[in-house]
Amino acid sequence: MVDFTKLEQEITNSLSKVTDLESLNECRIKYLGKKGEISLLMKKLANLSGEDRKKQAEILNTLKNKTLSLIEDKTEELNDRNLNEKLSSETLDVTLPVSSSFGSIHPITQVIEEVVTIFGDLDFYVAEGPEVETDYNNFTALNTSEHHPARQMHDTFYVETQTDNMQNVLRTHTSPVQIRSMLEHKPPIRLIAPGKTFRCDNDQTHSPMFHQVEGLVIDQESNMSHLKGCLEIFLKTFFETDKLKMRFRPSHFPFTEPSAEVDIGYTKKRNQLVIGEGDDWLEILGCGMVHPKVLQNVNIDPNSFQGYAFGMGIERLAMLKYGISDLRTFFECDLRWNKHYGFSPLNFPSLIRDLS
Amino acid sequence: MKFTYSWLKEHLETEHQYNEVVDKLTAIGLEVESVQDTGLAYKDFIVGQVVEEEKHPNADKLKLCKVDTGREKVDVVCGAPNVTKGMKVVYAPVGCVIPVNQMKIKAAKIRGVESYGMMCSEYELGISNEHDGIISLEQDTEVGSSYADLSGMNDILIEIGITPNRQDCLGVLGVARDLAAAGVGKLKNREFKTEKGSFESPIKIEIHDNDICPAFAGSYIKNVKNEASPDWLQKKLKSIGLRPISALVDITNYVMFDLNRPLHVYDADKVKGKIIVRSAQDGESFKALDEKTYDLKKGMCTISDEEKVLGLGGIMGGESTGCNFDTINVLLESALFDNVNTARTGRDLSILSDARYRFERGIDPRSTLEGINYATQLILEICGGECSEIVLAGQISETLNTIPISGKNIVKRLGLEITDDEIILILNSLGFGAKKSGESIQCTIPSWRQDIHGEADISEEIIRIKGYENIPTSNIRAISKVNKDILNSTQKIISKAKHFIASEGYNEFITFSFSDSKKSIFFGEVEKLKIINPISEDLDILRPSLIPNLLASIKKNTARGIDSLSIFEAGSQYSSTTPEDQINSICGVKYGLSNSKTWRSEKKEFDIFDVKNDLLNVINYLVQGNKKISISDEAPSWYHPGRSGKIILNKKIEIGYFGELHPRIANKFKIKTRVNLFELMIDNVPLTEKKTTNKPQLILSDFQSVTRDFAFILDKDVKSSDLIKAALNVDTKIIKSAEIFDLFEDKSLGDDKKSIAIKVVLQSEEKTLNENDINSLSSKIVEAIEKSTSGTVRS
Repeated sequence: MVDFTKLEQEITNSLSKVTDLESLNECRIKYLGKKGEISLLMKKLANLSGEDRKKQAEILNTLKNKTLSLIEDKTEELNDRNLNEKLSSETLDVTLPVSSSFGSIHPITQVIEEVVTIFGDLDFYVAEGPEVETDYNNFTALNTSEHHPARQMHDTFYVETQTDNMQNVLRTHTSPVQIRSMLEHKPPIRLIAPGKTFRCDNDQTHSPMFHQVEGLVIDQESNMSHLKGCLEIFLKTFFETDKLKMRFRPSHFPFTEPSAEVDIGYTKKRNQLVIGEGDDWLEILGCGMVHPKVLQNVNIDPNSFQGYAFGMGIERLAMLKYGISDLRTFFECDLRWNKHYGFSPLNFPSLIRDLS
Repeated sequence: MKFTYSWLKEHLETEHQYNEVVDKLTAIGLEVESVQDTGLAYKDFIVGQVVEEEKHPNADKLKLCKVDTGREKVDVVCGAPNVTKGMKVVYAPVGCVIPVNQMKIKAAKIRGVESYGMMCSEYELGISNEHDGIISLEQDTEVGSSYADLSGMNDILIEIGITPNRQDCLGVLGVARDLAAAGVGKLKNREFKTEKGSFESPIKIEIHDNDICPAFAGSYIKNVKNEASPDWLQKKLKSIGLRPISALVDITNYVMFDLNRPLHVYDADKVKGKIIVRSAQDGESFKALDEKTYDLKKGMCTISDEEKVLGLGGIMGGESTGCNFDTINVLLESALFDNVNTARTGRDLSILSDARYRFERGIDPRSTLEGINYATQLILEICGGECSEIVLAGQISETLNTIPISGKNIVKRLGLEITDDEIILILNSLGFGAKKSGESIQCTIPSWRQDIHGEADISEEIIRIKGYENIPTSNIRAISKVNKDILNSTQKIISKAKHFIASEGYNEFITFSFSDSKKSIFFGEVEKLKIINPISEDLDILRPSLIPNLLASIKKNTARGIDSLSIFEAGSQYSSTTPEDQINSICGVKYGLSNSKTWRSEKKEFDIFDVKNDLLNVINYLVQGNKKISISDEAPSWYHPGRSGKIILNKKIEIGYFGELHPRIANKFKIKTRVNLFELMIDNVPLTEKKTTNKPQLILSDFQSVTRDFAFILDKDVKSSDLIKAALNVDTKIIKSAEIFDLFEDKSLGDDKKSIAIKVVLQSEEKTLNENDINSLSSKIVEAIEKSTSGTVRS
């Protein structure tokens, strides 16, 4: 009879000495291959009979299973060791730099999109008009006659073309969009009109081109308290603070009556403006009830319809919200400025996620 | 407009502190621009007395003084020639800051002698140019008292911004009237006594054009003595920053700032014959008080005598009849001039004056006589003399406008509950005659309010005084939607394009809509784009293209050491200066390195395929759904003729251009290396209405796909797109794609040859392709390409 105990001992011994997958395979063939020792013993079982065969078969099977299990364990052990060796040889310097390839969105675009988002939520549509305007739309229709003193406060750019014998102008404000829109649509009207505006002025605090956004609401009952409500929602949402303090004070624009200017409360902390705190006031926008003469000029009956209008500077909003100190830098095209003050292209202002 | 608090109090009786008044001014629409404590600069100066005076031991021109300051006696070295023992002086102690040069007084050794403080001249205090000697105060001045109090400079200077409608507040009286209405005090009633003249004016006045000058009042005053104004008047004018000239001129200025009544005074002896108010004739000219000569035009309002033009009505007097210290007889003018005509004349001649500023905004007609009486009275008091009866030519309208308003409408406009009684109370406090009359309120508009024409104007008056802070806040969210869309299709396209292009690595720039005609000639017809009054020579036109301004920015950035620039602008360009000729466009520019050399990549410069790639990607993003994109090599003239292309959408829409900037233009902009750019014509992007949210059905084949590679030797000018087209057209169903994976040019191929290798993917939706199918298709592909490109397959 074969000494199974010895065989088992031998198998265990030789497997324990194996150090690589190749010799492990050789071991497997030696015992379990077609001509392996265990396989040969199994074949010989056929020569035995009865009880003996049954008994030896049982022993051999146990030995075979044990050997298989030992080989499996060894395979795993060797695989593990190999992987660990590979891992340690593959270490990289993860601190090596990588670079981003995103560009940036200009703060003016960002602020206009924020403004549009807030007013869009309040059901205002975005209206537009051309940057070259007729004198009539820019001034006369807005109740600013040729010799109105307010007209001299605008340093108007003139171009060489004419409309109705009057020199065309580069629009000095976005208000002519009011006129175009009211001629096109019947009330109720709710619109904002962001865009470029031009004044012949160039110094520390003036740029010959800048951006404004105009707002206009015309219906049967909108009054000054609605104007106040509208601007309160806008300013609080825009500056992202519920603490915002607002002050309305009388002013004058030819196209509104009564007219108001709106100040917001602020304070200065470590050289930075903090909106929503403090007792100082900062002028932020002009507004008022649309002048009945303006409505008459666009064939809307001022006895049936009324409403309000407002206008503000986009650069000013951007400067206050994002701490940009110099107006002129907006158009200087210094890439370092754009990368610093610009916004991610994936940043679409939203009232559901974030405005900014 | 500037005034001092003490001047205001001459018209306003008030218990309020100045800071409360300041707050109220802003609240009623007279926005305070600055408040300055004018005494502040003088607060440390005190009255001293020179008690000892001797020669400086080491300097001939200096004196050694002992000054009694009321508290102590100090040594002061002084260089003024007029210093004498016993003199009362303005003493600046150590620590004091001298207003004229902001120098701080320190204890110092002057030529070896200690000096503590300084005795001041008027120049050093900034009150005049007098610097020949120190100020000698009256002998009864109290030693140790505050000089700020003594000089009357202890005052508050307030500057307010007057909106163009509030002409009534261009005088201190008007400001006081508004404040009184707002409840901060009581308006003092100033009686204007009418000067009874003792003789008839020898100068007659005729108005030939009543439209431009409805009324002209004159007062002839003889035997005046025109000297420097008395102290009180000089101080008053100086307190608001005006330079005193002579008593006669100062009086007219004072009345203008006090009552908002411009006046003019003529040296009567220089007037030839009568005064004629008439329109100028073309070709006439006139030398004004500002010593400039103006060429006049028909329609301008002149004050003339029988020989010449003496002045421009409501704008400026003339040199020929100006008053000086020798003037003996004068004619004082108080007139009304048409505001539109005044504005037009002033603008045409570019004359800015305080009178023009007031007349073009509208002057209270009733101030004509009040003003002439008040000024005559002051002239008699200050300059002596005798006055004539007042001559009035033309007519001063006495009737006041009355308009009815409705309390209901006011409430509806303001969104504020206010009773008719309160409305009446407010309006009357402002000088309106408001009375209830049935359902409406009758409002008589005061003569000084030239800006009030209708109910809307009156609603502002009411809320101004009631207080804007009392307007409630109402919800504006509409119950039913007013607008279907917030953004229109073009607006959406522009917004999406901006974000997409920025995500491709471009930084958004915004440049001026103006451009330099000299550098823009390559991009359009610059003579059609001229601005009449440009801000500067190099911003003289509206830009014909976004390109020139972006190119200009390249130079600026490279000068700052930036070697890789990807920038874009979305904005308008113009084909003429009519409102209709504005074009929406986006331009992207890549300049310099696409990759700097890094540890993992070699340095590479941008080329036209970078911008082509970016442009195609954005077009694919903006134009979703089925489309056909083709590329031709016919780009506009500002591109490199051999390195540029045009993208055509659906066979006919020119949607964009890309390529290298024409080297000649790069040269003009002093750019040394290649610039690649694209333009996306936003207005040509089709505005497809979204018909359905469904996407087309997706059909995926489960049969195996096969790839085959082919290489061809072709003439260099064969377009790769023709080769691809030929391959795809062999079987549009089975050939899923054909892509170029190699481009090879080498002398071994021949000078005008190139090799292109393509990878073709074949897949049937019906079966697995067998060897026969594949071979047959392959030969067809080779055949088709060879035929269409005259090339040969490489084996």
